[in-house]
Amino acid sequence: MRRPRRSSSKLSAQFGSAHFGSAHFGSAQFGSSLLGSGLLGSGLLGLALAASACAAPGNSDAASGTTASEQPWEQIVADAQGQTVDLWMYGGDDRANAYVDDVLAPAAKELGVTLRRVPVADTKDALQRVLAERAAGTTDGEVDLVWVNGDNFATGREADAWLCGWADTLPNREYVAEDDPLVASDFGVAVDGCESPWHKAQFTFAYDATRVDDPPTSLTGLLDWAREHPGRFTYPAPPDFTGSVFVRQALYAVSGGAAEVPSRFDQSTFDDLAPPLWDALTQVAPDLWREGTTYPRDSVALDRLFADGEVDFTMTYGPATLTELVADGTFPSTTKVLPLDEGTVGNASFLAIPASSGDSAGARVVANLALSPQQQAAKADPDTWGQFTVLDLDLLDAADRDLFAQLPQSPVVPPYEVLSRNAGPELSSDWVAPLDEGWRRQVLGQR
Amino acid sequence: MTPRSLGGATPAVLAVLLVACTGMAAVVATALGLFPLYGDPTPGLDGWRALGPDLAGALRETLTIAVSSTLIAAIAGLFVAQVILSEARSSRIVGALAAAVLAVPHLVGAASVSLLLANGGMAARVGGVDPGGWPRLVAGPWPIATVLELAWKESAFVALVVVAALGPGHRRRLETASVLGAGPWQRWSRVLLPTSLPATGAASLIVFVYIVGSYEVAALLGRTTPEPLPVLAFRLFGSIELTARPAAAAAATTGALLALVAAVAVLATIPSLRTAVAPRAVGRPGSRAGSRDSLQKTQSASRSSRP
Repeated sequence: MRRPRRSSSKLSAQFGSAHFGSAHFGSAQFGSSLLGSGLLGSGLLGLALAASACAAPGNSDAASGTTASEQPWEQIVADAQGQTVDLWMYGGDDRANAYVDDVLAPAAKELGVTLRRVPVADTKDALQRVLAERAAGTTDGEVDLVWVNGDNFATGREADAWLCGWADTLPNREYVAEDDPLVASDFGVAVDGCESPWHKAQFTFAYDATRVDDPPTSLTGLLDWAREHPGRFTYPAPPDFTGSVFVRQALYAVSGGAAEVPSRFDQSTFDDLAPPLWDALTQVAPDLWREGTTYPRDSVALDRLFADGEVDFTMTYGPATLTELVADGTFPSTTKVLPLDEGTVGNASFLAIPASSGDSAGARVVANLALSPQQQAAKADPDTWGQFTVLDLDLLDAADRDLFAQLPQSPVVPPYEVLSRNAGPELSSDWVAPLDEGWRRQVLGQR
Repeated sequence: MTPRSLGGATPAVLAVLLVACTGMAAVVATALGLFPLYGDPTPGLDGWRALGPDLAGALRETLTIAVSSTLIAAIAGLFVAQVILSEARSSRIVGALAAAVLAVPHLVGAASVSLLLANGGMAARVGGVDPGGWPRLVAGPWPIATVLELAWKESAFVALVVVAALGPGHRRRLETASVLGAGPWQRWSRVLLPTSLPATGAASLIVFVYIVGSYEVAALLGRTTPEPLPVLAFRLFGSIELTARPAAAAAATTGALLALVAAVAVLATIPSLRTAVAPRAVGRPGSRAGSRDSLQKTQSASRSSRP
């Protein structure tokens, strides 16, 4: 089942072209990504485009080739024997790398599959490789599995770059609650078995308890706190991922709650809801760090300000990192998570198999392994990676449930049930660009 | 350049033209709306229009960074070159240091400057200054940290180019000047400065053009707004809104035009620097013996001195 086309979205209009010209689209995207690296890169852009014009096969029927074949699981496991699965994932998190290399890969080896981790600086890089392979009609691509969610998934979905209809048939899928909204849709895009859930994340604020005597309890309260304490609060500048989430969280707060903001984007709703948001953020700007004339570039820059004592709050979509940052002394031991009465936005991230993968059987075996209670529990250990499980513990048998009960408690991060109280859904990825661009024009441009 | 040497350079020239021209053509076409990722081409200046108020700010920021970094790098580079050429005991160490600085990638340099000069950085800690009391060098209202990093690294480049251009003939010229009774100030102002000006000008042009197109230092050490042209172009290029691409290409084209204008202006000036220098130079600069301008000047000077 295909998601209805979003007629109001520029993005979908562009990716719409992928249905009849995905080949050309893919390599244009890949080639022109080099433009950013300067004139030399843009020279390659020209060459890549020229090459794609010659090499692009007429694959107007490509869209039909992305549904996984229905095979018995035993057959898939047998096919997977000896395959090498390349998992492309963001490489900047040491504990994520250690988990995959030291825990997941050895377990995959026991099942006869070699798991190779390919670190990328940005998941977009993996997607562009997939789109280029799709354009070239590759059937034995370099990318077998991608850690993905949000707009990268949506982009690949529009270009029909993912293998679909396999994720729901994994044996370990029985431990995932069927009605879990975070797993059924990914930033407003129906998952449709095109990716298998891996873990959940919750947008989280943290503060230093020795510096904040009166922690606020809501986002508007946090903005008020910032006005009363000039220079002690800031957030990363969108389009940075974390800064962008903060603006969406602020949109919920200013609009009167997540229920007031429809997940699907439309221009008139945006025109109604955005001005109060810009007002609120513009009003608080003069009391932010550096009087709101500049903002931290990304969440790492904000974390550094927090660690140096320049600001009293930080925020992250990966609260698991807080445990480590406190343990190694980067953050003060008095760092606490700030619960908001209205809850924060949450999401899930997934493992997706590109349609061009040559080792898709092995990739399915790895995705199933990653969903097993043993692996999910090992990954949830704050000392290993600390990522929240996507499994519903009520569906597990007693022994497996015990694995989770025995996990050490993080001294900083409360359990997922506490953190995700009143959690709001993520907005559809169509909201992201207008909000980011509007913030730059209306909030940053006013300073 | 003789026709023969031009013929030998043909493959290299062709390769450069192929890469640079196809690339530039693609960027300019994208900026002019002739090269959309989907749909029909819509020729026009929409890319520049979409940049709107960001364009003036980006141009100003780019020029501020490039002009001040180039000036500081040229002056500091000239000074360092003088130390290296002085043949004092420290000159070899300074020369080795300059070569080492040249080998440091700008990215590493920028990260180090950020660790050193940021408000919670090492300099503030060693000095015992509260982060709030430290001057806003990184991401401040002026691109001070950006300029310092670029000037630091590029001054080493200018120095090594000047040293190479002056070469072994430099010592002979200084000795001649001394014999003729020139003091230290005269040796500097009448020998070193004029003979090194063409090389300094050429090196500064390369530095300026490089900085106009450089991304990483300003991205790491600059503030959120205004951004220099490359940072603006790269942000727009990475936007999930693919329609931002003409705007990104327009920013890149503007930067390329700026570099082109500077290059033409400076390249037009350098020969006059040479001709201004040649008659006054005490000895014939060895490394520029092939330069037609200076050769002709020297020859005509020697001819006219003949009875």
